[in-house]
Amino acid sequence: MAQRTALPLRDRIGSITSGTLAWIYAALLVVPFYYFIVSAFKTNEEIFESPLALPTTFDLTNVTTAIRQADLGLAVANSVLTTVAALVLTLLLALPAAFALARSTGRAGKVVEGVFALGFLIPSFAALFPTFLLAAALGLFHTRTFVVFLLPATALPLSIVILTSFMRTIPRELEEAASMDGASPLQVLRQVYLPICVPGIATVLLLNFLSFWNAYLYPLILIGPDTAQRTIQVALPTLKVDAGTDYGVLMAGTLFTLLPVYLVYTLLQRQMQRALLSGAVKG
Amino acid sequence: MTALLDTDGPRTAVGAPPPAVRRRGTLRERFPGLALPALVWYAVFMIGPVVAMFVIAFLSWPGMLTTPTPAGLDNFARVLTDETFWTATANSAVQIVVGLPVMIALAFLLAFYAVQKPRGHRVLRYLLFIPALISAPATAMVFYAMLNPDGLVNGFLRPLGLEGNEWLADPATALGAIIAVELWSGIGYSAVLIASRLDGVEGEIVQAARLDGAGDWRLAWRVYWPIAQDFIGVVAMLQFLSMLFNSAQTVLLLTQGGPENATTTLAYLIYRKAFVETDLGYSQAVGVVLFVIGLAGMWAIRRLLRATH
Repeated sequence: MAQRTALPLRDRIGSITSGTLAWIYAALLVVPFYYFIVSAFKTNEEIFESPLALPTTFDLTNVTTAIRQADLGLAVANSVLTTVAALVLTLLLALPAAFALARSTGRAGKVVEGVFALGFLIPSFAALFPTFLLAAALGLFHTRTFVVFLLPATALPLSIVILTSFMRTIPRELEEAASMDGASPLQVLRQVYLPICVPGIATVLLLNFLSFWNAYLYPLILIGPDTAQRTIQVALPTLKVDAGTDYGVLMAGTLFTLLPVYLVYTLLQRQMQRALLSGAVKG
Repeated sequence: MTALLDTDGPRTAVGAPPPAVRRRGTLRERFPGLALPALVWYAVFMIGPVVAMFVIAFLSWPGMLTTPTPAGLDNFARVLTDETFWTATANSAVQIVVGLPVMIALAFLLAFYAVQKPRGHRVLRYLLFIPALISAPATAMVFYAMLNPDGLVNGFLRPLGLEGNEWLADPATALGAIIAVELWSGIGYSAVLIASRLDGVEGEIVQAARLDGAGDWRLAWRVYWPIAQDFIGVVAMLQFLSMLFNSAQTVLLLTQGGPENATTTLAYLIYRKAFVETDLGYSQAVGVVLFVIGLAGMWAIRRLLRATH
């Protein structure tokens, strides 16, 4: 630090520029946040007149209105159900696959791995309409079930890459010892590999929790507007009306989409950051 | 390849058939059967629809309830002569040519700053992750509230004596507003990713550059950037794909492509043609075009930012 401040001003231009930009950006991250949280407890008039003022009363009317107007309670329940079911399914598919690929020594394993790696290039979004046809063909159109089936597929390439690289670190002798004792492959997976892979599993769970909970276009098209089925991300924008949106209610609704994510981020900050970093690096 | 030979070696050398159990084990190792369920799942739900996209692009399918008929290249001819398509292409081009370099350059400077571990860098890193956590609808709704005529942005400008604006409804600013939202959500995550790479730059290299009298600006662009260039390329590809494809969500939530196509991007055009106008052949033809643009763009970024050392 002392050495750095000793540099002449000319040599510190880089730090001064990047520092200024960094804190301006930080402010641009914080201000919308602050604005949206205080707005959740204000009326339209208060929001328009003094956007940054603290709410005068801690009034939950907006929250209750949002819940009633867009059936947010049900929507949160649907989101939780969809996310948890999709996470379980992802692990059920990805764990055996990663186990097989990590142990495989043949060419087939390499090909399979290559197929999943190509998945990073597939613009699945562009194929939204065929996906919709698939849902109809399976008789699962306008159901959460189809999204529970679909989301793991979108997550498989990254999940398998992360888990395989974890499982590759496990020495073969460990597994051979277990096989000698007559353990089946699935028992080896469960008793030898799983305990060692816990950090990898945590990474996969956290990453996919974010992308499943935050998914928007798939649930919008495939689950549709039925309030009994739709997720929170689909329910939220219905609070925006072309004429006369109640911004307080809209911001109160936004709280619901963010609360679970924030809870997890605050509790597991380090793991979440590591997951987000490895998520892109591997991609 | 060598691993393959190694495992084959002993088996042929031994000659005599090994016990059945042993052989089954080897077969299992050579063919990863436990990967099959995941592979099938992936083929059905991901690869299938993409293949179908390429098929539908060559079909005439003017509505969900009509029977599709082969159309050859008609859809592509229709797409390429459609003014809306070119407007969308121009919008996507602006979005990427302006948005992406700005995002990467700013993210790099932020990462450079964070890596110097200035006071408050922990708070900064905590904050930089925020946009990566927030869903597209939540981000869009907060910006919708801020950009509306009575919202926060105009609330800031008016006391300064500046005219407010209907940012999302004015054709001159709507696309800019969409790009701004994407920059807001993309810079932070890109910055933490790049910072994770810059953290690995050895102190000695930095010290040496300092001794040579390099100022911070040169240190950033002449030392850190070249070392991290290929990684920055990966981040740029990631954000390129996200802008190209995911912009449809932001556009759908904020402007529905309006006013007068001012914010219709290629990705949003696919969505609109499929689910609003149900011109399915057209929609999927644009999908194919976007697929090709995606590959070409990634190739270009790779060329531009490949490792220099």
